[in-house]
Amino acid sequence: MAVTTPHKAAGGRRPPAAPPRRRTPLIVRTRPWLLLAPALIVLAGLLLWPLVRVFLFSLQDYGLREIVSGEPNWIGFGNYVEIFTDSQLWTVVLPNTVGFAIVAVLGTVIFGTLVALLLASLGRVWRLIVGSAIMVAWAMPAVTGTYVWIWIFDADHGLVNSMLQGIGLMDQPFNWFTNPVTFYAIVVINIIHHGFPFVAVTVLAGLLGVSQEMLEAAEMDGAGPVRRFFQIIFPSLRQVFAVVFILSTIWDFKVFAQIYLMPGGSGSNREVLNLGVWSYVESFGQNRYGFGSAIAVLLTLLLLIVTAIYVRYLLKEDEL
Amino acid sequence: MKKRLVPFAILATAGLALTGCSGGGSDSSDGDTLTVWIMQGTNPDSEAFFDEVGDAFKEKTGATLDVEYVQWADAHDRFVTSIAGGTTPDVAETGTTWTAEFADAGALMPIGEKVDEAGLSDDLVDGLVESGTYDGELYGMPWYAGVRSLIYRSDVFDELGLEAPTTWDEIVEVGNAIKEAKPDMIPFAVPGDAEFGVYPWVWGAGGEISELNGDTWESGLASPESREGIAFYTGLATEHGFSSAGATTWNETDVLDNFTQGNVAMALQGSWTPATVVQDNPDLEGKFAAAPIPGQDGGIAPSVLGGSHLSIFNTTKNEDLAFQFVEMMTTGEFAEKWGEQTGYFPGQTSLLEKSMGSDDPLVKPFATQMVDGGGSVPVTPTFGAVQAKKTVNAMIQAILSGQKTVDQATQDAADEMDSIMNEEG
Repeated sequence: MAVTTPHKAAGGRRPPAAPPRRRTPLIVRTRPWLLLAPALIVLAGLLLWPLVRVFLFSLQDYGLREIVSGEPNWIGFGNYVEIFTDSQLWTVVLPNTVGFAIVAVLGTVIFGTLVALLLASLGRVWRLIVGSAIMVAWAMPAVTGTYVWIWIFDADHGLVNSMLQGIGLMDQPFNWFTNPVTFYAIVVINIIHHGFPFVAVTVLAGLLGVSQEMLEAAEMDGAGPVRRFFQIIFPSLRQVFAVVFILSTIWDFKVFAQIYLMPGGSGSNREVLNLGVWSYVESFGQNRYGFGSAIAVLLTLLLLIVTAIYVRYLLKEDEL
Repeated sequence: MKKRLVPFAILATAGLALTGCSGGGSDSSDGDTLTVWIMQGTNPDSEAFFDEVGDAFKEKTGATLDVEYVQWADAHDRFVTSIAGGTTPDVAETGTTWTAEFADAGALMPIGEKVDEAGLSDDLVDGLVESGTYDGELYGMPWYAGVRSLIYRSDVFDELGLEAPTTWDEIVEVGNAIKEAKPDMIPFAVPGDAEFGVYPWVWGAGGEISELNGDTWESGLASPESREGIAFYTGLATEHGFSSAGATTWNETDVLDNFTQGNVAMALQGSWTPATVVQDNPDLEGKFAAAPIPGQDGGIAPSVLGGSHLSIFNTTKNEDLAFQFVEMMTTGEFAEKWGEQTGYFPGQTSLLEKSMGSDDPLVKPFATQMVDGGGSVPVTPTFGAVQAKKTVNAMIQAILSGQKTVDQATQDAADEMDSIMNEEG
């Protein structure tokens, strides 16, 4: 925790000689917590309580009737058993979610870093121009962006199909949304397009802080650009990359709108379901809020595990 | 002393701020205001219509009408959250497939007695009464009905000397003629995300969606008859090439958009759509017509009778006022006016018979379809879950995109339907 109190009692290191006072007054010892209390209460009310509620729902067969009557309907871990015995989870939903997240996170971070390196090497005017251009991609709302990509790949009138047919690479129009691989390829492009500006800006901020002397010294010693990146820049930006990786992973795991809005993405094409859409279709469509909650709990656990692994590998313990 | 109290004061304030959100929502109505939810996306001019209704209602009862418009697409979620929070309106328009679901949840008030007292029970359209009834009790007052039929480009048909098809073989003949003469047009749109376009072919071939056998629902989608109908329908796209690659992921709105843009020669659309087509593309006025959906060897293939009820929620404080409003909307002057403006058919039999007499080429075929070829999806709250799971849409899309064969897709859909519909609600 980064919060420190103004009193030396919280300094962590014990003072060499114990002060003559035997007990600090209660108010002094609890003051940090009291000062934190409003924020903690708000967090507990807005974040923790909904999480607890979702977990409690996931242990029930909770439908419209239970909502109206307000009566609980406990079934233990029945929802979880149903999820884990559903072959759809293992053959479609989980591979889609995890596979998509890996490709999208790597793509976003790699592309964003390349753009950041480009920005760092530009002069002030060009940096401003390129910077503003990528901000446009960032500022575009997810729904609008998704529709733009849908139109570009539209089977009958889309830009991509007309171009491919125009240059003779394609005889019959192809519907990109029916095949799970091409479907997710479009989602990946959409997500990278929408997500790389954040990575670029964050990494650029870190890049500007890398010591120029060290880079020059490395260059003098004959280190090429690739070596300089991996030996100097990446290690000094490890914390920046940790944040970027963690946030991208969380965003890409729970991607919903960009898939739900695509043709066939709202449940009529079963091959493209992911955890987010599956949870939505089950809970709000079927009125099975308990089952949907259980999927949501699993998604949260999955994200916690992934985040924990990142934190362990990317941030050494002494840096925490 | 004072200092010590500060943190507690902050705590208390934070606590107040947190609970503040749950204290609101006090009801300003003291019985003189009736809140009503009306679905939007059906009648382009509904606000003007309801201003007029509000004035008439005030004159008649002295109460104010507070109409809130809800988009069809968000409506189900809005209903569920307001049911959960106890903030439902007094009266709301409920889609025919939702009425049983909300009644099953215990959110609606039975109105059968009131309808009897008003002497209306013999003058209501059967299909709508059936879908508004749950457990032998009427919960939804029939308001309006719509039905889907075949719409086609009469200018193209005239130019090529074609007649509206009356059998399935004729659909193929007509489609081939259009495909040859107008290579840029989609002769017959087969959308992969529109379940109501599927049922006419299932019924037309003699199949069933699902039937109650004792206590269990048995889906008929995988029967030889249903398979024949579904194979014919999807074959229009996969064998004959009458549809387009894009249509594999179209929903009904996409079909309508493309018809309006002039890309489509034949499609299944609802009786409420011609007005929208003309409004969005005035060039098409008089260039398209409707026909009942042909049966396999002639006759009419049934199509789903959709529509809306007006339902009274059991949170209402003034049920008599609520029913007065329901009666005013569903009978007489306003019911007739609503039908004229929207292209929907009234839920009152005597009014419906009146619109049957119409000679309008965009009204009469729909009226014929409704009277002679109206069908209903299974009346049970669980069928809503089947629709939400998009069981039938997924089946058609898998066939159109080549993911599954007709036999496999229909078998999977029938299994899924059975497992959802026989689950304890």
